[in-house]
Amino acid sequence: MSRRKPRTATVIVTGAGGVGKTTIAAAVGIASARAGKRTLVLTVDPARRLADALGIETIGNVPTPVSGQTELWAAMLDVTASWEGIISRHAEPDVAARLEQNPYFRAIADRFPAAQSYAAGEQLAEYLEAGAWEVVVVDTPPAGGGIDFFEAPRRMRELIGGRVLRWITGAGLPGRRALYRITARPMLRLTDNVLGGPLLEEVAEFLLDLRTLYDGLARRAQGIERYFTAATTVVVTTAYPTPLREARRFYEALPDIAAPPACVIFNRALPAAWADHAPDLASQDLDAATQIALHVNLERWGAEARHQAEVRLEFANRHKTVPLQIPWMEHAPTSINALAALIDEADARVLEVLEL
Amino acid sequence: MLDHKLLIVSGKGGVGKSAVAASLALQAGRRGASALAISLADPIGLATHLGVGSLGYDAKPVAPGVAVAAVDRARALDEYLRLQLRVPRAAPLGQFSRIFQVLIDTAPGVREIVSMGKPIFEVWKEDWDIVIVDAPPLGQLQSYLGAPATIAELVPSGAVKEQAARMRDTLADQSTSGLVLVTTPEELPTIETSEMLELLADEPIIDVVGVVTNRVITPMTLEAGVFDALPSGSIRAAAHLHQMLAADQQRWLEVLPAGPQLAHQFGVLTAPELAATLTDAWDEL
Repeated sequence: MSRRKPRTATVIVTGAGGVGKTTIAAAVGIASARAGKRTLVLTVDPARRLADALGIETIGNVPTPVSGQTELWAAMLDVTASWEGIISRHAEPDVAARLEQNPYFRAIADRFPAAQSYAAGEQLAEYLEAGAWEVVVVDTPPAGGGIDFFEAPRRMRELIGGRVLRWITGAGLPGRRALYRITARPMLRLTDNVLGGPLLEEVAEFLLDLRTLYDGLARRAQGIERYFTAATTVVVTTAYPTPLREARRFYEALPDIAAPPACVIFNRALPAAWADHAPDLASQDLDAATQIALHVNLERWGAEARHQAEVRLEFANRHKTVPLQIPWMEHAPTSINALAALIDEADARVLEVLEL
Repeated sequence: MLDHKLLIVSGKGGVGKSAVAASLALQAGRRGASALAISLADPIGLATHLGVGSLGYDAKPVAPGVAVAAVDRARALDEYLRLQLRVPRAAPLGQFSRIFQVLIDTAPGVREIVSMGKPIFEVWKEDWDIVIVDAPPLGQLQSYLGAPATIAELVPSGAVKEQAARMRDTLADQSTSGLVLVTTPEELPTIETSEMLELLADEPIIDVVGVVTNRVITPMTLEAGVFDALPSGSIRAAAHLHQMLAADQQRWLEVLPAGPQLAHQFGVLTAPELAATLTDAWDEL
């Protein structure tokens, strides 16, 4: 099956929390810009020094040019603003005004982890449709180990179009009292007793308003799902068990909901040569305590390197993929040049695999 | 830490909080207490560190006195409605659950309070000396810990309000409940941990009983000149990385509050071996 590639290349950087995906997304964006492509990096909750390096001190969905970099823009996801945009695009003005005042809407937009995931997809779609960039690099929100980002559009369609919601809000076009249809009435009375009065009704009113957005939101969600399918996905991991498990999950789940990952990047990789180094210190002129300290620690680093190499090989065999590596850096890179160096020192295949 | 009835373990994603939660439960068991470890977030993480394949809603024994369980949302909801809110058995729970399911998906705090309910009910039942919770990462922690207070404010009256208020009071009771924050001496975990500490100082939802710093790399004290005398190549490079990482960690250790430090174990241990190593470390701390 052939898929029409959109004009803008999309790179989605995903992986478990704490593996360095925000940093790698920024580094990939910088490398792409330096290769002469107009590039936008959308970050989610970056470390302060990284945000400073990209010149995005505050959250905001409007891309700002990164100073000193001719082809690079950056934005930091503003979930609430994204949701206000979604509402104003898809709702009648009076419904939009009511929704924006609704405490549940505010709570959902501010705190619901799935709302952050959906908002990131929505922003991606907007940037792609703006057509102003050749490459858009997206850092994914951490909810659900990152997989929520890919599932959010479908979940959104299911929530708003779901059977339970139709049942609770009435089948036809909702009059506000449809909630109290005959069949639901005894249940709602019980619910009201337990929940203490108007909570459910308030939620239902909110849902009724939200349902009027269904057609627009469902179409949009499907559009976002298509962008995911056409995107290049990079899975970032370390050799630790928890992120590795998440990485495997991406390889298993993504072919069904987006596209198979293009590659896996092992961050904090040690040189394979360390796996074989025997710390032969006997020939050195060292006192006993120093010898022991060096010996113990160098053995450990060798063992770690050996373990990493085994893990990469096992992953590559199991998922028929090429494991790329980014070296374990002495300091977290936080300047533009240090970020660029990250990709320079990494496997040269990173950019090749990403077709950048 | 272990003299509480409810210990909630959280931290930024990827710092090793499941391993620390598992090790605290094993250490409690070693001290003769009965301990229940409950996963609210990632059941596989806790399961693998405790050497069991999977977790269920019912407690599964893993060591003398120690058992582990996970929160199953549907079962937790059922328990919440039947036992805690005393919804009559005769009521058609199916439809009721469906309404509740919509609430869980939309109303703020409902999903979280149903999950938080499980460990707190276990504390109320007093079947265990200590309940240790492997909680969601820091980004979501506030909405879990704050859910009882949110619901107690949002709901005007009725059983849910009373129950939520009681849960809020259990969390706030310093002799009963405590929060353990796990971090690593790196920039992002340190900053997020500091922010959580500030937030909890302003809004005392729960008492912080410890900040555990995981994966600490101890610098090698090398005499001047030793380093340069090392043969170039992988050995010197490894020694260099070790010293540089240790120095970088030092500056974050200075920012973090004093607390237990757990050594970096490198990637060579399996999950149960790691939990066992950390459990041993608690003997001395």
